[in-house]
Amino acid sequence: MASANKPINTDVPEKDVFALHFLQSLSNLRRQNTFNSPEKTNDRVKKIKKVAYVSMARAAGGTNRLWSRALLRRAAKENNKVVRFPRRKKRVTCLRRRRSNRRDPVEEEEAERLRNLVPGGGGMEISKLMEETAHYIKCLSMQVKVMQCLVDGLAPK
Amino acid sequence: MSGRRSRSRQSSGISEDQINDLIIKLQQLLPELRNSRRSDKVSASRVLQETCSYIRNLHREVDDLSERLSELLANTDTAQAALIRSLLTQ
Repeated sequence: MASANKPINTDVPEKDVFALHFLQSLSNLRRQNTFNSPEKTNDRVKKIKKVAYVSMARAAGGTNRLWSRALLRRAAKENNKVVRFPRRKKRVTCLRRRRSNRRDPVEEEEAERLRNLVPGGGGMEISKLMEETAHYIKCLSMQVKVMQCLVDGLAPK
Repeated sequence: MSGRRSRSRQSSGISEDQINDLIIKLQQLLPELRNSRRSDKVSASRVLQETCSYIRNLHREVDDLSERLSELLANTDTAQAALIRSLLTQ
């Protein structure tokens, strides 16, 4: 399934792709009048945070990455929506990783911590997990840059 | 070649080299470890630890920025003009 010869690609799209998705989501929020209600600041913050992650997942390639699929699935579940993803050619089988006796350079315990941090990490084996982690980190830092730019742009001069 | 089971056993034989490559790739993404010379090899567990704390940091930054955005966007009149401005000056 995971062929050892396939080159590992962790490229992420350019910053403006992330910016575009995020701004679209923000303007959707505005259309729902999220920003007009003076009370319920916590709800507003939570909505913005959720929108940040979802737009990041979409910008990063939607259903092409395991972590973004997991993120989008989780978000849709919170909205009680049933999401159907197009069937991928290669299914990630939940390998019985605990039974593998080969000596890994990577300790399973630390990998477990990583699995808890990366969305969808629970079913991945180590090399896939690390590949997804690299992509996830790049996308996260892009998203942070976009949000920082926005905050800087909106801050009163 | 002879069905799924043998293939999955084959895939669990991912070479140690590949994993080490991935570890180096991860190391280059981490701000803490990026500047260390390639000659002094950082241990895999250290890379994983730094990765975990880096991810947690990024999550925290997203939280902070979401809060600030929430405050800034609360005032819609000025926010609209400012949003357009920041879009154009990206």
